[in-house]
Amino acid sequence: MPLHDVGYRAWKGTRRPPGSAAFVIATTGIALSWKSRWLRRAVLFAWSPALAFAMSFFAFEQAVEEGRLSMLEVTAQSGRNLDGVGVLGGLLVNALGRPTDGEPAYLPGSVEEIEQTRRTVWSRLLLAFMRAPQAVLLAVVIGLVAPTLISRDMRAKAWLVYFTRPVSRRDYILGKGAVLAGVVAMVTLLPALGLWFVGVLVSPSVNVAWATADLPLKVLISSLAVAIPTVLLALAYSAITTETRIAGFAWFATWVACWITHSALGAAELMADRPSPEAQSFFSEPFDGPGEDDRHDRSRPMHWLGRAAGLDSSIDHWAWVSPYHSIGVVQAAIFGMEKRPQAFLPPLISLASISAVSLVLLLRRVDAPLRS
Amino acid sequence: MGNAVSSDACPVVLEDVVKRYGTRTALDGVSLTVEPGITGLVGPNGAGKSTLVRTVLGLVRLASGRVRVFGLDPQKSPHQVRQQVGVVPEDESAVPGLTGVGMVRYAARLCGIPAGEALRRAHEVLDWCDAGQERYRPLETFSVGTRQKVAFAAAIVHDPPLIILDEPTNGLDPIERKAMLGRLVTLARDHGKTIFLCTHVLPDVQAICERAIVLAAGRVRLTGTIDELTRPALPMHRVEGTGPLEQLADSLAEAGIAASLVRTSRGPAVEVATPVDADTAAVLRSVCEHARHVGVGVRSFEPAQRPLEEVFIASLREAEAVHSPEVLHAPA
Repeated sequence: MPLHDVGYRAWKGTRRPPGSAAFVIATTGIALSWKSRWLRRAVLFAWSPALAFAMSFFAFEQAVEEGRLSMLEVTAQSGRNLDGVGVLGGLLVNALGRPTDGEPAYLPGSVEEIEQTRRTVWSRLLLAFMRAPQAVLLAVVIGLVAPTLISRDMRAKAWLVYFTRPVSRRDYILGKGAVLAGVVAMVTLLPALGLWFVGVLVSPSVNVAWATADLPLKVLISSLAVAIPTVLLALAYSAITTETRIAGFAWFATWVACWITHSALGAAELMADRPSPEAQSFFSEPFDGPGEDDRHDRSRPMHWLGRAAGLDSSIDHWAWVSPYHSIGVVQAAIFGMEKRPQAFLPPLISLASISAVSLVLLLRRVDAPLRS
Repeated sequence: MGNAVSSDACPVVLEDVVKRYGTRTALDGVSLTVEPGITGLVGPNGAGKSTLVRTVLGLVRLASGRVRVFGLDPQKSPHQVRQQVGVVPEDESAVPGLTGVGMVRYAARLCGIPAGEALRRAHEVLDWCDAGQERYRPLETFSVGTRQKVAFAAAIVHDPPLIILDEPTNGLDPIERKAMLGRLVTLARDHGKTIFLCTHVLPDVQAICERAIVLAAGRVRLTGTIDELTRPALPMHRVEGTGPLEQLADSLAEAGIAASLVRTSRGPAVEVATPVDADTAAVLRSVCEHARHVGVGVRSFEPAQRPLEEVFIASLREAEAVHSPEVLHAPA
């Protein structure tokens, strides 16, 4: 018997309230997930786009401070790497406004105009950041974490560890969901908030923080719009099988298949709408920013980022087919870049349906071993 | 206070409980009481033992019947009930990736023990379970014996008044098995815990349990104290000793005392009928005289008991033969 063995002793301490079990499951789940070297690398990598976007914030604020917003536009138009990254230059230009024939671009002069421009530019940059690189990286990172969360518990019969203790099905799902929500926060919310903070730091005045105080809230709501459907869908996949590989495959297959379906339907729609001569010049037209009918821009490399930033004014009729595109449209609505109900309602309904079906599946599957 | 745990209430009471999985009836009108102390639940595979455990925890919905755990309904107050219960499941169940001490600490935290206190308590309980330095290794690398120790520690870490163990000695070597049974006795005797032991190992039940319940095909077939269950149909005493015990049995039979040679786990012995109205002291004197006469050194003279295994098999056969749903009460 070890010297420090004091035998069995009764425990008379005060217990935490029952709801704390979800917190315990979440913190333990995050700690266990974080042991994965691949996850740590993926999260680190997921922060790298933030550096590029931070340079755009810096470039814009430098231009404001030096009173050369017009130069910003002209420089980018001439193709120079305004922000050191290149592609984001176009984004900034489009955020500032398009030059028309013979006329200079919209040049903000007064303080109010500059603030309005700043709000527009920051919103578009944050939206582009969350929609374009982070949403894709998020799918990858969740794909690394989510499949193991419930399926491994089911395989190891760990559900007995939970449900023979004062842990309800709700606590369990909340706890596991919080693990993924933590990942979402690490990949989208925190870098986006970090970008906003960088923008404030590089701006001429701290008052900019107050002027753009609504943006962090929009980032938070936008992150929730990503988190709720993705977390529920990922957990549902994890709950339907004891094989982690199958859950992982189903997760990635959903994103890829829906993306391909969306692209195919979009292309089909485009071909049906487009007159033949235009179709022939489809790949040769220059990128000239938003317009009333700019569907012909869809094939351009910048288009992905432009659409992510809300620069494409056309309605993506097939966004509801793909979770990625649906999330993007809903995020654009949250940032105020998409105000047409016919554009954001179908994706919103699609995401709500995915969430509801996933939740029902999750509730049915989590305690299935108990019923067998 | 419908949701308050009553310390005076019987730990577990089941009244006419029926549980069906589709068309299969897992529990068919089960009524039983688990009183403080150690109670053994024995039964063949598929008897409904695991379903009974899940019923006590409120994990399954019943077709009919009533369950009370410390006066609480597990269906209506599952959290309060599970705070009072520690379970060692039959299946190996663990959270992959955790170490031994991490698993016990996790179990403590799930039961509401604060984080720092949970770690201290986990180490304390693992020390008592003699888990040693293995506790720092991942659960996946544990031997069966260490896994059982960790599962047991996780079940008692929150100091529950009722402990349910499903096959706790599975895969344990004789030394570990004895130590595990010793811990159960300590918890029941020194700390007032109620232990509900579900097992196939009948000698374990006979060794440490005060009461036993025989469950078969979803019905309670036999229930009573171990003493009642293992008492022979006719009152008998068992004589153990050294020397020609066969001659002693013959000598007693010739003298008109019903006696027979039997084989027990401790070797041969002579069982002597001691009718209820007989003077046991006179019988003992007579046995001693005959023993001295045939050259047997008497080592012990004690009431004879049937092995629980024999009682168990007999009750199952009887139940199969009669197809009776009635509970076979132990002889009074």
